[in-house]
This record gives sequence, structure tokens and C-alpha cells, in this order.
Amino acid sequence: MNVRAVVLVGAGVAAALAVGVAVGATALSPAQVLAGLVDPAAESAPIVRGLRLPRVLLAFLVGGALGVSGAALQALVRNPLAEPYLLGLSGGAGLGAVLAMSLEAPGTWAVPLAAFAGAIAAVSLVYRLSSVVGRRLDPRVLLLAGVIVGAFSAAIMTTIITLSPADQLRNAFLWLLGGFSAASWGSVSLFAAYAVLPLGAIWYSGRQLDLLTLGEEPAQALGADTERLKRVVLLATSLLTAAGVAVCGIIGFVGLVVPHMLRGLVGPLHRALLPAVFLAGGGFLVLADALARTVVRPVELPVGVVTALVGVPLFAVLLRRSVR
Amino acid sequence: MARGLRPAVRRVHAVRSRSPGTGRLLRFTPARIPLLALVVAACTQAPPAEGPLRLMDDAGREVVLAGPATRVASLIPATTEWLFALGAGERLVGRTTWCDYPAAAAGVANLGDGIVPNIEAILAAAPDLVLLYHSPANQPAAERLADRGIPALLLRTDGLDDLDRQLELLGRALAVEATADSLRGAIRTGLEAASVPARADAPAVLIVAWDQPPMTLGRASFLSEVLERAGGRNLFADLAVASATVSLESIVARAPDLVLVTSRDSVPAFASRAEWSVIPAVRERRFVRVHGSEFNRPGPRTPQAIVTLRNALEAATP
Repeated sequence: MNVRAVVLVGAGVAAALAVGVAVGATALSPAQVLAGLVDPAAESAPIVRGLRLPRVLLAFLVGGALGVSGAALQALVRNPLAEPYLLGLSGGAGLGAVLAMSLEAPGTWAVPLAAFAGAIAAVSLVYRLSSVVGRRLDPRVLLLAGVIVGAFSAAIMTTIITLSPADQLRNAFLWLLGGFSAASWGSVSLFAAYAVLPLGAIWYSGRQLDLLTLGEEPAQALGADTERLKRVVLLATSLLTAAGVAVCGIIGFVGLVVPHMLRGLVGPLHRALLPAVFLAGGGFLVLADALARTVVRPVELPVGVVTALVGVPLFAVLLRRSVR
Repeated sequence: MARGLRPAVRRVHAVRSRSPGTGRLLRFTPARIPLLALVVAACTQAPPAEGPLRLMDDAGREVVLAGPATRVASLIPATTEWLFALGAGERLVGRTTWCDYPAAAAGVANLGDGIVPNIEAILAAAPDLVLLYHSPANQPAAERLADRGIPALLLRTDGLDDLDRQLELLGRALAVEATADSLRGAIRTGLEAASVPARADAPAVLIVAWDQPPMTLGRASFLSEVLERAGGRNLFADLAVASATVSLESIVARAPDLVLVTSRDSVPAFASRAEWSVIPAVRERRFVRVHGSEFNRPGPRTPQAIVTLRNALEAATP
């Protein structure tokens, strides 16, 4: 990784975090924001420390996790379109959440836990489906299985929603659209502690992912255990994405746009690419959330809508450039 | 996945959407009562129509009834309540899933959720008048019913402003004009007696419609109207929409005195969550709870709903 890229990514991330803490539905001066950060007794402390800071940190962690999951999956299935949600995760998570809502499961953690369980169940089903077909895990079969499991869960979910009271229907939909309004220090520390292991596992597999981009057989010839690699990366990305869905709903395009942007800047080698994608994905989602919070304040936009509105044009530009 | 959800949600929004700024003219404030009395007088002077009835519904369509309606399918919970209040409950041949008041409505055939009307179920009930909520989804349904010779009225039932027009229309359609007039008078008196005049020191009340994401109700919502009449000030009265997702930060900055919830539990589950506890009124459990469909829709129970909320607000204000 060259120095220019390090400086660029580092400065971008620092700026994103600063903007994320500085702006919000209430207008606070930089002095008030600083006071809120350093002094727990300051008047602005409940807003800055209680709401903004955990929210910015959670958005950063989730964005980083989604970016890394996207980059790893794209290498794994050797398809630039791969995104964590293509593996049926979103459908499974949505189904879990909607089930918990329609059964009026008690407790504040019922919906996130159900979403997590649903996502893991969907990925297990996808994995089972694609491993039955042949002995080896074929990336194309994996994607196909992901699409059909996702479609099936979405159909069940729509059925449940159609049969539930109107209020629940709207609420389930809003929950799925994604947002960080539920961020708290509890959810930040839980997600941070949880994400360390899968992120570490993906980073550790970085060299083998580099080999895999050459093709499965050359990679094996060079000593990569491709079957084990596929299982590890699949499990790690599923765990990361499922936890992301559980804390903030479904947020698309981070895992798709950020790795593509960074490959041009940092290069394709995963030991360098993955940390850069983590930082940039986090920064991207922090900025998207800052926009979601402020554009139509006091009303809040779903952050998934912002990532799509910003991410799609960006992706289109990248696409045009790479075609040329 | 989210894509598959969207049409269903749009439908619900259509049913729940309110149009801000319509018909504010007939608000029941003391200053406007002379105007109102004039309107009422003008209506009562009209002689009862003989032969076909020509009515204008809220979509601006002219609807022709062969005579007073005797078999009514009411696909709006509010009009179901009015039908019974007008003494025409026995003419009801169909209702929605949500029609939970009065209890006698439960004995009438359930024609579905009313969000996307089930034409077949409506035809099976053989009505001679169908009452539909004025929404984009219901407009084609009204046309399809008209093609089969069944008149349908598209009605707006969003707030108290709609009551007068609605009762007048129902009175004519059912040929119970006199009852409709006296009911209108009774409701007006009831609303005046129940309502508290606006005060500068009214408690600022946050209405929590949903906790994740945090959703509140704007001034176009019926509950906001009830709240203002009960002596509270809606914290988000500046939002012209019926409901909106708002940031917790803006709630903290606006510092509500009380938090109004519509849940069954007296202390809602979100009260124990860290991010909600940043709001002092939530942390100190300053909750006001209302529960029941009379807080969802304007109707004959609205004066009582205002009194209930007024008492709850007074009990919660130190």
C-alpha cells in the first residue's frame, strides 16, 4: 500500500468521524460539541455522549464490517457483484424480525436476536443446499442458492405481514429499512467485542484470498486449502452481516461500493485492502448516517436509502470508468 | 426483499395518510360557531329528496342512489361507528376487520381489512351503498363497484374537520337527516364541553407512535388533535404530516414534559433502553397512557376520548 492511499483513507475517515459527531438534529457549536465530549456534566453531554458518539461508533463498526464482508465475498465467489445480502441473509433476517414482531415477542432484544437467528438459519440453508449439489462448494451454486432462499423468506415474510395488523406492517418495514436510532454504548461494545473474531478470521485468510483470485485450481496448486477457506470466509461474513442486521436493519451498497472504490486506490492484495475497506466502509456509513439525520431534520431518513442514493451514482461512475 | 414489501406498505400508507390543510374551515372553535350554525341551518332547510339521491363524495364524484340506502357495507371503522350512532346499525351488511366498536358490529360480516377492498366479498354482501376511505387504492374499487351498479362513496375520515360533512352525507344517504342534525349538535356540544382552551403553559407532550425507529405523530394526525383539545401541546406540531420518523436528538432538544404512549403496558418496553433514557421525561417515567380505538379515529366517542386524555394529563402534571 502506498503512502498516498494511507493518508487519503486516514484523512477521509477522521473527517467522517468528526462530521458525524459535529452534526445532528440539534445545532450545537463546535465548542458545545467539545464540551459535551470532555465534560460529562456539560449541557450538551446527553446529546453528544449519550446519542451522537455511540451512534457514530456503531455506524463506523457496522460500515466497516459490511465493507470487509463484501470484499471477502467478492474474492471468494470471484464475482464483483457479490454482496453479503446475496447469500439470503437479508431475507432470513427480515423473516426473523417480522416473526418476532408479529408474535409480539417481549424484551428489547427480541427483534435483533430473532433477526440474527433468521440470518444464520438462512445462510445455513444456503450452505446446505449448495454443498448437496456437488462435493465442492461451487460459488455459482452458492449465489443461486442464496437468491432462492432469499426469495422464499421474502415470500413468507410478505405473507405474515399481509396477515398482521396495519401498524405492525409499517413498523416491520421501517425496521428493515435500517437505521442507527437504537445505538447505545451497550450495542456499540457488544458489536465491537463480537466483530473482532470474524474480522480477524477474514484478515488472516487474506493471503489465501489473493491466491483464490487466480482461480481455484491454481490456488490449490500454490498450497491454498480452498474448501476450508470458503467455509471460514462464508461463516465469518455471515456472522458479521447477521450482527449488522440485528443492530441496525438492512443497509445495502456499503459492501458493494466501498471495496470497488478501494481496489483502485489500494490495489487488490487483501492484507492491505481489507483494513482499508474496513476504515472506508466505516467512514462511508458514518457520513451516510450524518446525512440521514440532518437533511430533513427533525425527521430522519432510513440510512439504507441514503447509502443507495449516494452509492448507486458513485458505483455507476466507477462502472463507466472501468469499462473504458 | 425490501422490494417485495414496498407495495404492501404503500397501501397502508394510503389508508393512513392524511391530507394536511383540507377543510380547516369548520374547526369547532368558539369563534367559528356562528359560521357553523349558518352552515347547519342551510343544510336543515333543504327538503328531503324524493326519488334518486344525488350526493357529492370527498373525491368530488357525483354518486347517485336510487333511494335511501338500506344495505350498507362500511369499509371504514369510523363510519361503522356513525351508522350505529345514527340508529342505522341494522342496515349494516359488511364491515372491516378493524371495526371493533360498538360491540354489535362484530355480528356483521367481515369483508376484510379495507386497505385493498375485496370486490367479490363486497358483492357477496349485496349492499346498495358502499363506504370507502378516500385513498388512491380505493378509487378504482369505487369505479368497479359503480360498473356493477353499486354506488360507493369515497370519504375522508382523518380528523374532526371531517365530521360535519360526513354526518351530513350519511344523513342524506340513509334518509335520517333529522337524527344526523341532532347528532351533529350533540357532538359539537360534547366537543366544546370536553375541550380545554389553548394555554401558553400547556405541557409539551411527545407522542410515541413507535420506538424503533422513533416515530411520532404530526399535526395532521387525529391523536394530535385530541391531545391539543385535551390541554396538551404536541411536541412535533410543526410537522404537517400525520406521522414521521424523528431523531432522538431532536426530542432531547425539544425537552418534552410528558410522553404519551398508546401501548397496553403503563411503562413501555423502550423506557428501559439506554438511548431513550437520554430523554429526561422518559428517564423519570413521566408517561401518559391511552389505549383503545377511540384514540385512532374521529367518531361519536371523540368527546369521551378527549375527557379521558384530559384526566390522564391532569393526573400526570404535578
